[in-house]
Amino acid sequence: MSTLQQVKDVAALKEMPEEYQTAVRKIVRSHAINELHGAQVFDEPAIAFAPNPYAKWLTCRVAMEEYHHHVRFKKLGDEMGLPETETTPQKDGKRPLSIFEYPLKTWAEFCTIKLVADYAEILQVEDLLHCTFHPLRNIARLTMPEEKFHAQFGKDFCGELIQTPEGKAEVQQALDHYFPFLPSFFGGSKSKNNEIYLKWGLKQRSNDEMRNDYMVRCTELVESLGLRMPVVA
Amino acid sequence: MREARAPAAWFTCLGLPLVEAEAIDLADYLRGIGIAANTPVVLVDSWQAAEATLKNPQWDQSWWQAEEAERARLLKACGGSDAALKTLTQATDEVTEALHGAAAVAAARSGVADPYLVRVAAGAALQAVHQAALAEQAGEADHPFIKKRGLYASGHWLLGTYTGKLGQEFLIF
Repeated sequence: MSTLQQVKDVAALKEMPEEYQTAVRKIVRSHAINELHGAQVFDEPAIAFAPNPYAKWLTCRVAMEEYHHHVRFKKLGDEMGLPETETTPQKDGKRPLSIFEYPLKTWAEFCTIKLVADYAEILQVEDLLHCTFHPLRNIARLTMPEEKFHAQFGKDFCGELIQTPEGKAEVQQALDHYFPFLPSFFGGSKSKNNEIYLKWGLKQRSNDEMRNDYMVRCTELVESLGLRMPVVA
Repeated sequence: MREARAPAAWFTCLGLPLVEAEAIDLADYLRGIGIAANTPVVLVDSWQAAEATLKNPQWDQSWWQAEEAERARLLKACGGSDAALKTLTQATDEVTEALHGAAAVAAARSGVADPYLVRVAAGAALQAVHQAALAEQAGEADHPFIKKRGLYASGHWLLGTYTGKLGQEFLIF
């Protein structure tokens, strides 16, 4: 039986030690910013690359789902008193995750990002499903089914693309290009933040445990499509 | 975003012919985005047929490109600022769940439970809402995008132009 204190709302958060509050703020800020970056850098531009109206409108909807994930985290940030500049990407702000610095160029790249990057997002959200801060836990529970759909979208559309040798080569090329950025998405091995998240039950697993799990699950996924996992230094 | 406040009948008249007022709005919309006035309008009568149409590799991209060019012009007219875009996205986000729900209900009533196709329908309506909000923000109250959103809000789904038995056709579900 866990003895970790459960924090049911924002009012109760304010009664928690500063270390807990700071840790929650960091998680909310990170998710709010990265969800919006993802929607702006990948999902929205992908509409132009989609091959037909079916794929274009599907991508419109997926882009709005990603944007809405940002809205959920930002709204929680607002309730917690986080300034908007901390939950919305700023031109002169902290650098985003490195994967967001490479503009999308093809439909195959987008499908590959959905396949592997959204899969990484699933693990991140999964780790919040039992978070001791309930508003964050509930956002994770609301977001999870859509993240799973996005990863399935990646699998299904990559599955279509690899039916031709040209398509398979394009997906493999995209995988080789983007995948090496993803393991670092889980944070450093000796992260002080991660230690604090675990101590308070905000997260369940260490960065290395999540990264290792991701590598195993992603290898299985990629190889099930007949693709080769890139070697990550 | 008028439909967010007033009752809208998203996806309730799929497969049904347009009434006279809707046909006039559709003609205004088509003329407004540069589709020839004599283009035949063809009714699609099932989700399955709509899906097949939308996946057709022979689709006519000029219709999509005309809308995109118009959207770019309107964005420029609005100043193209981050603030303008943010307002638009927030406005679209407010109706997102309602549109998705309406598409899911309409599909379920026809025995369709495909989560992809439901999202495609919701995405099409979202685009229409976004385009109309942009036209409103640019102060163009009679814009074809406003007519387009009106047709969605009255229950139809505009599928676009395709090459069919009658040559270039505009399909509506």
